[in-house]
Amino acid sequence: MARKQSWSWLNLWTIGTVLIAAAVATPICAVIYIGLTPSDDIWAHLASTVLPLYISTTLLLMLGVGAGTLIIGVGTAWLVSTCRFPGKRMFEWALLLPIAMPAYVIAYVYTDLLEYAGPIQVLLRDAFGWTTKREYWFPEIRSLGGAISMMTLVLYPYVYLLSRAAFLEQSVCVLEASRVLGRGPWRSFFSVALPLARPAIVIGVSLALMETLNDFGTVDFFAVSTFTLGIYDVWLNMNNVAGAAQLAGLLLFFVAFLVFAERFARRKQRFHHTTSKYKALPGYDLKGWPRRLAVIGCALPILLGFAIPSIVLGGYAVTFFDAAANMDVLHHAANSVMLSSLTAFLAVAIGVFMAYGLRLRNEWIVKVMTRFASFGYAVPGSVLAVGVLISLGGLDNGIDGFMRDRYGISTGLLFSGTIAAVTFGYLVRFLALSFGSVEASLTKITPNMDGAARSLGHGPFSTLRRVHIPLIRGSALTAAVLVFVDCMKELPMTVILRPFNFHTLATYVHQFASDEQLGEASLAALAIVGFGIMPVIVLSLAITRSRPGQEEAEQPS
Amino acid sequence: MKGLHVIGVSHAFGNNRVLDNVSMMIPAGELVCLLGPSGSGKTTLMRIAAGLEPLQQGQIIIDDELVADPTMQVPPEDRGIGLMFQDYALFPHLSILDNVTFGILNQPEEQARRRAMEMLDQVNMSQHASKYPHMLSGGQQQRVALARALAPEPKLLLLDEPFSGLDTNLRGQVREDTLKVLKQSGVATVMVTHDPEEAMFMADRIKILGDNGKILQTGRPHEIYYHPQHEFVAKLFGLMNRFEGIVESGAVEIPIGRVPAGDLDDGRKVEVLVRPEGVILETDGKTGAPVDVISTHLLGHDNLVRVRLKGDAENGHDSKELYVRIHHTFEPELSTSITAGVDSEYAFIFPLDKAASPAVSGSVPRPRAAE
Repeated sequence: MARKQSWSWLNLWTIGTVLIAAAVATPICAVIYIGLTPSDDIWAHLASTVLPLYISTTLLLMLGVGAGTLIIGVGTAWLVSTCRFPGKRMFEWALLLPIAMPAYVIAYVYTDLLEYAGPIQVLLRDAFGWTTKREYWFPEIRSLGGAISMMTLVLYPYVYLLSRAAFLEQSVCVLEASRVLGRGPWRSFFSVALPLARPAIVIGVSLALMETLNDFGTVDFFAVSTFTLGIYDVWLNMNNVAGAAQLAGLLLFFVAFLVFAERFARRKQRFHHTTSKYKALPGYDLKGWPRRLAVIGCALPILLGFAIPSIVLGGYAVTFFDAAANMDVLHHAANSVMLSSLTAFLAVAIGVFMAYGLRLRNEWIVKVMTRFASFGYAVPGSVLAVGVLISLGGLDNGIDGFMRDRYGISTGLLFSGTIAAVTFGYLVRFLALSFGSVEASLTKITPNMDGAARSLGHGPFSTLRRVHIPLIRGSALTAAVLVFVDCMKELPMTVILRPFNFHTLATYVHQFASDEQLGEASLAALAIVGFGIMPVIVLSLAITRSRPGQEEAEQPS
Repeated sequence: MKGLHVIGVSHAFGNNRVLDNVSMMIPAGELVCLLGPSGSGKTTLMRIAAGLEPLQQGQIIIDDELVADPTMQVPPEDRGIGLMFQDYALFPHLSILDNVTFGILNQPEEQARRRAMEMLDQVNMSQHASKYPHMLSGGQQQRVALARALAPEPKLLLLDEPFSGLDTNLRGQVREDTLKVLKQSGVATVMVTHDPEEAMFMADRIKILGDNGKILQTGRPHEIYYHPQHEFVAKLFGLMNRFEGIVESGAVEIPIGRVPAGDLDDGRKVEVLVRPEGVILETDGKTGAPVDVISTHLLGHDNLVRVRLKGDAENGHDSKELYVRIHHTFEPELSTSITAGVDSEYAFIFPLDKAASPAVSGSVPRPRAAE
C-alpha cells in the first residue's frame, strides 16, 4: 500500500543545506561583524601608521603578479595551442607543473640560492674577485619584487590553464574567417582569438590574484607588508583580535572586487560561441628565430617554476638525509594526509548533499544558501582563520558558560585549537571546489533519469545512491583530489588553527625554512610538491579530453 | 475502478496556464492518447499523474486510491506507475538486464532477474541483456525502456512521445510491436503525442488537449476524424479548405456544393471546413464548380492537388484555391473541363457567431506545421 505523505518531508534537504551554508558562512560573517563593531581605537592607530603601507604593498603585489601571470600564462597558452614547434606536446602538460609548487617553497629555495651566502653570489664573487657586498649590485630576493616573481612563477598556470582551454574551444572557423578576411596570424590573434578568450583570461587572473591574497608563507618570509601579514602582525604580535578582524574586513573588499570580476567574466562567457564546427587546430609552423624563442619562452617558466626548485630540494634531501628526522617528516606527512583526506571526503559528501538538494528542491532559499556557502574559496586563509577562531571561540565560551551555569562544570575550549577546527577551516575554504564540480556534473544528467528511477519505485536517497553517484563518480573523485592537494599545501590557516605541537608538512616546512634550515625541511617540501603533481595529471588529462572533435568521446551520454 | 482517474486538474507555470480543469478516466486495459500541440500541457499532465510535478489543483486517483490533492502527494516511487520518457532515460551505467531489474523491488534477486528476462523476451531484446544502453540503436533502446517500465507490473503506464526519437521508416514497426506488448499486459495506458496519425493508430480513445489547456474532445479515432466538435480538432489532421456561409433551409451553400447543417438554425453565420479528401474532382465536368488545376504532387499513397475555382463573379465568390487529396491516379492534362464537388462526410460546420469558436482569418487554410 502506498504511503501517503506530503511533499514537505523532503524539506530535510532544505534544512540540511541551510544549516551547512550557515555553518560555512559563520566565520566570514563573524569577521565582518567584529570588523564593524567599534572597539578600542586601534583603527585610528592603524590608519595613521601601517594601513597605507599595507594597501599600497598589496596593490603593487597584485599588480605585479597580475601582469606577470597574464603575460606568461596567455603567451605560453597561445604558443602551445596554435603554433607548432619542437617539444610542443611536452610543454602542453609540463607548463602546468609549477602549480604543484607552493609559493612559500619556491621562495625558500630561491632565497637559499640567491642570498649573499648562496651559491650564485659566491660563484660571482669568486669569478670576479669581489670580496664585499659593496663592490657589486645584486637583486635582493627578499623584497616586493622577489615576492612578485615567486608568486608569478607558481601562479601563472591558472591563467595558462583557462586561456588554453579557451583557445582550444574556439572554433577554428572563426579564426579561418579572420584569415580569409585578410588578417595575418598575429592580427588574428589580437583581434579575434584574444578578445574571444578574454572572459577565461579574466577568470584565470582573478584566481591567481585570490591565491596571491591568500599567500602567507612568502610574504612572511620576505617580510613584505601586505594585508595578510598585517592581520597576523596585529593579531599575534599586538594581540588585538578586533584590529585583525577590521583589517580582514578591509581585505574582503579586495576579494569582493575579484569575485565580482570573475563572476562577471563567467556570465559573459556563456554567450560566446556562434558556431559549433570544430576541426583540429591548424598550427602555425614556426621556423628559425621565432621557433627558438618559442621553445625558450615555454621552457623558462617550467625551469624556473618547477625544475630548478625540485632539483635543489632533491639535492638537499640527499645531502641532509637523516633517518631520525625523516621519522618526524613521516609523522607530519601522516598528519597532513589524515587531515586532507578527512576534508576531501567531507567536502565531497557535503558537496553531493547540497548539489542534490538543489536538484530536488530548486527553491530560492536553497539556491541563495548554496551560493553563499561557496563564497569561501575567494576568502584569504588569514581572514578565514580569524573568522574560524572568533566563531569557535564564541561557541566554546557559550557551551562553557551554559555547562557552568547548569552543572557547575567547566568544559573549557572544546573546539578551538583542535583538528576539528582545522578541518572546519579547510571545509569553509574548499567546499566551493567540490560543490562546484559535483553540481556541474549533476546538471549533465537529464532530469528524466530522476523521473525514471522514482517511477520505478526508488526514493530520493536510493536514486542518489544507485543512479547519480555512479554517474558522477569521476568528477567527484577529481574534486576529492583537488581538495586533498589544496589541503596538503594549505599554510595560512593551518599555522593559526592547528593544535599545539601538531605539525603538517606545510607548517613543518614553514617553520624550518623560515629559520633558514631549508636542508632539514627539503624532504617535507618535496613531499608537498609530489602530492601537488596529482591534480596536474588530472587537469591535463581533462583538458586534452575537453576539446570537441579532438578525440572520440568514450563516455556514453 | 481500476485505472487512472484525473479530476479537475489545473496547472500553471507562473502566469502561463497549461491545464484548465482537466478531468479524465482511463480504465484498466484501455489505451488513451493525449493529443495536442507542443506546449499544450500534455506532458505536464503526465508528470502530475506520475508525481514528478507537484499538483496545484484537482485530484489524482489511481486504482481507487487518492494519490494527490492540493494538501498531500504520494511520492512518485509509491504510486506504482510506469513511465517511459521521450529520451528513454535508460541508466547508462547499468546493463540492459540491470536497467530492467532496477524497478523490480521486494522480490528475491533471482526471481527479479527472471521477471526482467521475461520482459526482455517479450520485447525481443533478451539476446542483448548484457549490453549497455549506448551500444543499442534507438529502436532497441525504446524497447528496453518499454520493458523496464512494464517490469514492475505498474497499475498505470504513461508514455511520453514514445516514438518521436525514431526515424520514420522504423516507427511503423515499433508502433505495432509496442501496441502488441501493451495489449498483452492489459495495463491502463496514457500516451502523449503530437502526431495525430500515431494517436489514431495506437489509441482506443483519443483526448484532444487544446492550446488553452482544456480537453476539447474525447472519442474513438473514428469520431475524432469524422465528427470533430471543434474547429481546432478538425484542423489537427492537416490541411483544410475553409469556406464561410449562412445556413439556409438546413444546409450551407458553398461554391463546390451544399453541406447539410445538422441542427443549426437557419440564418446562422458559419464556417465550413472540408478535408482535402472531401473535395471530389470530376473529369467529365457535369456537376460541381469548374476549376483549374494549379499543381499536383504525388505523395506515394495519394496525390495532393491544388486547384483554383474559376472566377464566378455573379455569385460573389472570389477565385479561391482548394487542396484536394485523390487516391487514384490523376492526370489532369487528359481532360479539359474539371469540376469540384463536396463529399459532406468530410465537411464540418462550426458556427461563427458563437464567441467560443473564433473565426480564423485568411480564406485558404494553411497547413499546420508539424512539430
